[in-house]
Amino acid sequence: MSSASAPVAVVGAGIAGLTAANFLRRNGVPVVLLEGGKQIAGMASSYVDERGFHYDAGAHFITNRLAAAVGVSSQCRDVAYYGESFLLRGKAYSYPFGLLRVPRFVASALKGKVAGPFARRSVRNAPVGESLRGSHGPDNSRSQGSPSPANGDSRASAGDFAETCPRVPTAADWFRSEFGDALANEVSLPILEAWSGLPADQLSAAVGEKLQNSILRTLYLKLHSRLQGRAISIGYSHEMREGPHVWHVYPERGVSQVCERLLEGLENVIEMESPVEQIIVDGGRVVAIRAAGRVREVAAVVSTVPAPILPKLIAGSDLLEPLRNFTFRGMTFVCLCFEKRGILPDTVLWTAGAGLPFFRLTETPRSMPWLAPAGKTIITCDIGCQPGDETWTLDDETLARRCLDGLASLYPGLHAFYAGSRVLRTPIAYPIYRVDYEPARRRFAGGTGIDGLYSIGRNGEFAHILMEDIYWRTLRKMNELIVRLPRRYACATASLP
Amino acid sequence: MLAASTTPAAEGRIGGLAAELPSLRLVHQRCCLCGVEDAEPVAVGEDFEYRTSRDSFVAMRCRRCGLIYLNPRPAASEFDRIYPPAYHAFDFSPESFGLAHRARSRLEARRLLAYGKHLGPRASIVDVGCGDGFHLALLKQYGQPGWRLAGVDASERAVAAARTRGLDVHLGTVETAPLTPASFDLALLIATVEHVENPLQLMQAAARLLRPGGRVVVVTDNTATLDFRWFGARHWGGYHFPRHWNLFHRPALRRLAELAGLEVVELTTVLSPVNWVYSIRNRLADRGYGRWIIERFSLKAPLALAAFTILDGCFQIFRRGALLKLVAEKPHV
Repeated sequence: MSSASAPVAVVGAGIAGLTAANFLRRNGVPVVLLEGGKQIAGMASSYVDERGFHYDAGAHFITNRLAAAVGVSSQCRDVAYYGESFLLRGKAYSYPFGLLRVPRFVASALKGKVAGPFARRSVRNAPVGESLRGSHGPDNSRSQGSPSPANGDSRASAGDFAETCPRVPTAADWFRSEFGDALANEVSLPILEAWSGLPADQLSAAVGEKLQNSILRTLYLKLHSRLQGRAISIGYSHEMREGPHVWHVYPERGVSQVCERLLEGLENVIEMESPVEQIIVDGGRVVAIRAAGRVREVAAVVSTVPAPILPKLIAGSDLLEPLRNFTFRGMTFVCLCFEKRGILPDTVLWTAGAGLPFFRLTETPRSMPWLAPAGKTIITCDIGCQPGDETWTLDDETLARRCLDGLASLYPGLHAFYAGSRVLRTPIAYPIYRVDYEPARRRFAGGTGIDGLYSIGRNGEFAHILMEDIYWRTLRKMNELIVRLPRRYACATASLP
Repeated sequence: MLAASTTPAAEGRIGGLAAELPSLRLVHQRCCLCGVEDAEPVAVGEDFEYRTSRDSFVAMRCRRCGLIYLNPRPAASEFDRIYPPAYHAFDFSPESFGLAHRARSRLEARRLLAYGKHLGPRASIVDVGCGDGFHLALLKQYGQPGWRLAGVDASERAVAAARTRGLDVHLGTVETAPLTPASFDLALLIATVEHVENPLQLMQAAARLLRPGGRVVVVTDNTATLDFRWFGARHWGGYHFPRHWNLFHRPALRRLAELAGLEVVELTTVLSPVNWVYSIRNRLADRGYGRWIIERFSLKAPLALAAFTILDGCFQIFRRGALLKLVAEKPHV
């Protein structure tokens, strides 16, 4: 494969890359961490202005479990409360208690419960289900010579990725079968469409996979949340089970503090401003990497590069070409500051379908009062966009004014308390699970298909995962990587009794 | 340049957060049986009993062998922080613990004599992790007069307390203590393996002290119990956050003995009310209940101890007692 000293190259110093590099290093695997920019932390980065308003571009909080696992728990504050509401016909309904007060939603949910299993079966039995197993399933005979039972981060081949199928179950199918028509049509689907920018019948049913908690379990956790006075994690962590003992916390200096902790011990192996230009594949396996003009031999590459960009970096294999079709939804976050607090009825207010310029509002100080000066608040207005469209190109001041007017239409008199704005834009916010590339996406979720190439993190995996999921999934993948490395790399296994 | 994109403005705004207890220095560790760090979280908790730090801790279950271990755990240099002067094992005295002390003394004396019933009148016994010498004192009082007794503990306070009882106790670890290899007939590791960095090294060191045919008795918390199932996500008393670093079920404890080159003679459970009592105490403390109710569940609360002794006695009938007991023998060849 490569010389005895060749390291594992980790590409990107966000939470996923830092987690991977930290884990490999502490387990005795030589590692080099390549970061293209001047700063670590990626989407987890935070910004605080001179007045004390906090702006988080990525996750707003983490869980006590992740904080403890990383070793930053003593520098975190508990989040006492977190709640979401929906704006429907001008009135806010909290989730789930408020929605349960509307008879047609209760009937809809019950219908979903009763009729759902039959409908879900038909959704599951759609052709794509078969294409993911059977003749299109893991095919080690095409694993290009790897001696290992599965091929690195991979169980796929080029043929599998390119495969299409006649019908993929759609998000519209899934939500209607799961929640009934009223809840799906009035609540879930408008949000999904505003968030993704596509009609629900063009989205895969897989977008519903992250909604794992049943209504009863949600009620149970919400009840615990009230009793304990802690914001119990509900629907935030999917890799590890949620429960009454996992709640949200916020690091003193923002979520990027997790990354700073993970960076400890990596100072000598991180190379800043070293953008990766090429990942060199030979005979179906990664052999080298070129970054900042320098080619070096590697034992494996762990990439956090967004999935659609990854094939552009690979030389020597066209296996990941279908990933070029994958698209992300861009987001514009318009943060409005106010000389007043407690404007929204809940931490989050979903406004999709209300004819407003944003589909979601978040008043983080309702959950984390320290994110704004006393008596003041910050409301983030989320607008789905794509680079080049009107939202993307509009000047910040006009955009902020438009959002302020929209907000004031809900809460009159707000103009008097307005205290400035800040606009953040990202072209890569959420992966869009379009039905046309769903088979390829599912194959990719099983692995890259290239021996020694691992794609991790929210963008790298092209998955709807938040910080805690990223952490545990990355550790799991790095364990798989260590097992497949030649023994000379894995000091961890060398210490086996 | 390795700056995260947090501005210094954030620094001044966290002053309100208590800094009275500095963070513990934490280190990551691997499964001591498998040598790898392939595990999933089963619990997150705090030092509910002594509040020695503001840290939370994660108990991880090894995906390969089922051992539960703290990861990350406090560095060894934090020993004095996590074992405060009031720690119960440093001074489990009749004055402090009254009725509980008398009942436990009687129960433990009976058990100890059972462990040593095969020993001759001149046998040598070492108690590894002897604490304040509670078990050695019982052996001295109720055992055969010719028995040679020795103890080892890493805590200065515990060793000082043991020496005031007139016991021969060494300060340090079993690996470094000046004890003659292959000179002991019985090594006791009672409530010890869960406290140490590397239980395998400890067992191997204990095995070296034994004569061929000598036995080691290990007593430790059992993770295959109902109390673990009910409280195991956070409040289980056996976690004893952050002082219990490795926790076993039967297969893991058997593997520990076998990896140390010992032959398992017996692997069963013994009853103890302590994990039940402390599980409830931890839950009450975590939920902010008043001290009057919390104090009803402690080593000084005879009523709770009695009630849960009866309950755990019922589980013990089905070999599901709160503690695991392993007896293993050093082979002759």
